[in-house]
Amino acid sequence: MTSSDWLDVRGWTESIIGWSMDTTHDLLPESIQTDFATIQPALESFFIATIMCTVVFTVMMLTLMVVPYIERKFIARLMDRIGATTSLRSLWIGESSATAGDWWNKLPMGMGSPIGFINKKLNESFGNEHHHETISRVNNRGYHGIWFLFPGFFQALADFLKFATKEHIVPKKADKLVFEVAPVIIIATTIMVYAFIPFGPHIWAANPDLSLIFMMAIFGVAPLGVFFAGWASNNKYTLIGGMRSAAQLTAYEIPLLITVLSIAVVSGSFNILEIVDFQIETSDTWNIFILPLGAVLFLVTMIAEVERIPFDMPEAEAELVEGWWTEYGGIRWGLMFAVEMMRAYAACILFAMFFLGGWEFPFEDSLSALPLIGNLFEILFTIVPGLIWVLLKAWILFAFFVWIRASLHRIRTDQILEFGWLYLLPLSIVNLVVATFLRLEVWTDSGWPIWVAPVLTLVAIFFFVIYAIDEDEEALAKSRRPYSTQTLSKAYPGSQRK
Amino acid sequence: MAEMWISMGPQHPMTHGLWTLKVKVDGETVVDTEPDLGYIHRGVEKICESRDFTQITTYCDRLCYASANTWSHAYIYAAEDLLGVEVPERAEYIRLVAVELQRIASHLMWLGAYGPDIGNLTVMVWCLREREMMMDLLQELGGSRMHYNFPRVGGVKRDLPHGFAMRARHKLSLFLDRIQEYESLFDESTIFLIRSQGVGYAKPEEMINHGVSGPNLRAGGVNHDIRTSHPYSVYSELDWSPAVERSSIKGADCYDRYRIRVEEMIQSANLVLQALDKMPGGAETYHEPGDPKILAKAPSRAPEGTSGSHHFEDSRGESMFYIAGGGEGRGKMPYRVSIRSPIFITIPYASKCMIGYKVADIPAIMGSFDPCIGETDR
Repeated sequence: MTSSDWLDVRGWTESIIGWSMDTTHDLLPESIQTDFATIQPALESFFIATIMCTVVFTVMMLTLMVVPYIERKFIARLMDRIGATTSLRSLWIGESSATAGDWWNKLPMGMGSPIGFINKKLNESFGNEHHHETISRVNNRGYHGIWFLFPGFFQALADFLKFATKEHIVPKKADKLVFEVAPVIIIATTIMVYAFIPFGPHIWAANPDLSLIFMMAIFGVAPLGVFFAGWASNNKYTLIGGMRSAAQLTAYEIPLLITVLSIAVVSGSFNILEIVDFQIETSDTWNIFILPLGAVLFLVTMIAEVERIPFDMPEAEAELVEGWWTEYGGIRWGLMFAVEMMRAYAACILFAMFFLGGWEFPFEDSLSALPLIGNLFEILFTIVPGLIWVLLKAWILFAFFVWIRASLHRIRTDQILEFGWLYLLPLSIVNLVVATFLRLEVWTDSGWPIWVAPVLTLVAIFFFVIYAIDEDEEALAKSRRPYSTQTLSKAYPGSQRK
Repeated sequence: MAEMWISMGPQHPMTHGLWTLKVKVDGETVVDTEPDLGYIHRGVEKICESRDFTQITTYCDRLCYASANTWSHAYIYAAEDLLGVEVPERAEYIRLVAVELQRIASHLMWLGAYGPDIGNLTVMVWCLREREMMMDLLQELGGSRMHYNFPRVGGVKRDLPHGFAMRARHKLSLFLDRIQEYESLFDESTIFLIRSQGVGYAKPEEMINHGVSGPNLRAGGVNHDIRTSHPYSVYSELDWSPAVERSSIKGADCYDRYRIRVEEMIQSANLVLQALDKMPGGAETYHEPGDPKILAKAPSRAPEGTSGSHHFEDSRGESMFYIAGGGEGRGKMPYRVSIRSPIFITIPYASKCMIGYKVADIPAIMGSFDPCIGETDR
């Protein structure tokens, strides 16, 4: 590993285990010391793997608690009945019956006073009477807990306790074996994904050469469990949900794999750690600047893979009443819900790994090379472990997922099939061709030529502006049905029938 | 997959109430439907026979929780027709304000419920926020948030309170601003357009044959609005024309039914603003309750053999009350009351509309017809 990071959990583990094994070796009687030496490497790697698995699992479970917190808080802000604009402004206010700016000023050691000042100025210059009224209604909301404990943070724990104490009900005519096996498949494969996810340069449980392929394979097993669950519950809604899950699988899994292949092509490796290393050390450019189209495709297909709105047809609550997990209750339901969060979280971390340079701060090298304050940045990057940047990137991406959920509707099964086959698949092949071309023709052994990243990024921004932001008014007018308030002669029943 | 019947309801997110829609599906495609109504039949018509004319108003409020005022007013006009009461003009204007505010609140409730039907909860929360403003205004008039018991035979319970006109103008102008937010959330979302356009066609001729009325019919291009075709109240004195959608040749789809309601909300807001301007005596003056300017004297008994009826443009279509007077023999109570509920007539047709579409379209189509089960089962 070339990345330097003081949080060398793996190194520490290795040295501790190595020392204790050597000590054990010396303490043993002479007669079995040679036998022990033959199995010592295997024992060492076994203990290291066990400890690292535990560490990664603990890190994952602890940081996972932030994910439902973000989902709750951010979507509540977006959907606030006080209104989107005011809710975003109320982010500056905090909660509890504090007036604008006061909440921030109340934080210890003046930590929040800059934000408090800005918010006060904002309110003084832009707020009108109505804003003051509604903002004061925002402030009327209840607020439990102490600010540094993040009120609402432990709600997930309370939910877990509630699910854990609930009765487990199996439908009478369910296929009992499969009904029990399906959650195990879903939960186990999702947790297995994390075995290959690095949380930092030295925090990972396993690192085979083909970890990328294994990761994608194990990611695709859960929909099988969904299909099992839908069938075994012996319920018409779950059956349709399971069928939808299986149908959806074919539509997004192939584009997803082709996109992931393009990442492997560009980075020249099937190993996740090497992909991150390629971005940080070898090429010194994040993949998102090289493969912008791939980033978009990966994001879209990953949202489909983790079954979030707008691609959550298997659990569409409007028509299927939560679809395939209708019949599950208690801790199985709770765990499967946690697993859904875990999958979304894994998708966010993977995006950070593949496209956002893993554990590197944006423009870390450039910032460190700044003339005066460069040293300060260097100290910051030395102090803060890579784990923090990985988590921050993943959480911000998850907030983006939540934003998408709050603004889009759910699409139909036939429409996602059409979308997958007609748009995602050709685009992903185009992306693969672009990636291959870049790697074979443009890539030099010393790195990307200086123009590649800016040009590709500018092209991507250009297309993004054309297709996403700059609305074609005429096309919009055409897609909108013309409507009118007509002034016809007064109608009487039957007048419209000629 | 073989064909199978799915029973959606009585507890199902699609139903918006308490009823069952039995759907026969072939895989994802709907092959046949069968609505099953009557879960919350309270016998309102029968209860009304043992209540006097003032007491009935409260029962009519409870016909539809999303649109209470329109139903009590529908009853009041029929009762006034039976008893032969002349209503003061100012009272008519106040009633118009109350009914149109209620129409906005009801359509907002519909728009809010339509969001989750196709997977977006944000719309619901935003619409309920706007509805809150209308509820606040209606609360000022009637005193409660849902069942206002506002109209009286011969007028209204109370005059507009002090400052009501100012607050109403302020909130409605804010509402007219904010309605663009929803339009952007719906109209500029490609997913909404592909979910609603070309889904759930309802032909105007078939709708007329089935008796569908109100926004659902006007979405099909039929200019039939009771407020103009059989004018009552003071609608003919205001400057407006009903919103009519120019639908495609196949009929009105979900998108048309969405557009027509947004358009009607804007229109109702303008109607209220106009009514506040044109109100005789000015919207700022206040009369004590019972003042002859807002409440005319009305007889409490109807002679035997007389009957009164009134068509009324409810938020969901054409509602009608038919009341037969009871004479001395039954005291102050009516002999018979009969209610025409627009949604009772619409639901069978709406169920037919979804044949041939996908399972995911069921809530989209059913929701777009704006079902309200309180009035359907009465």
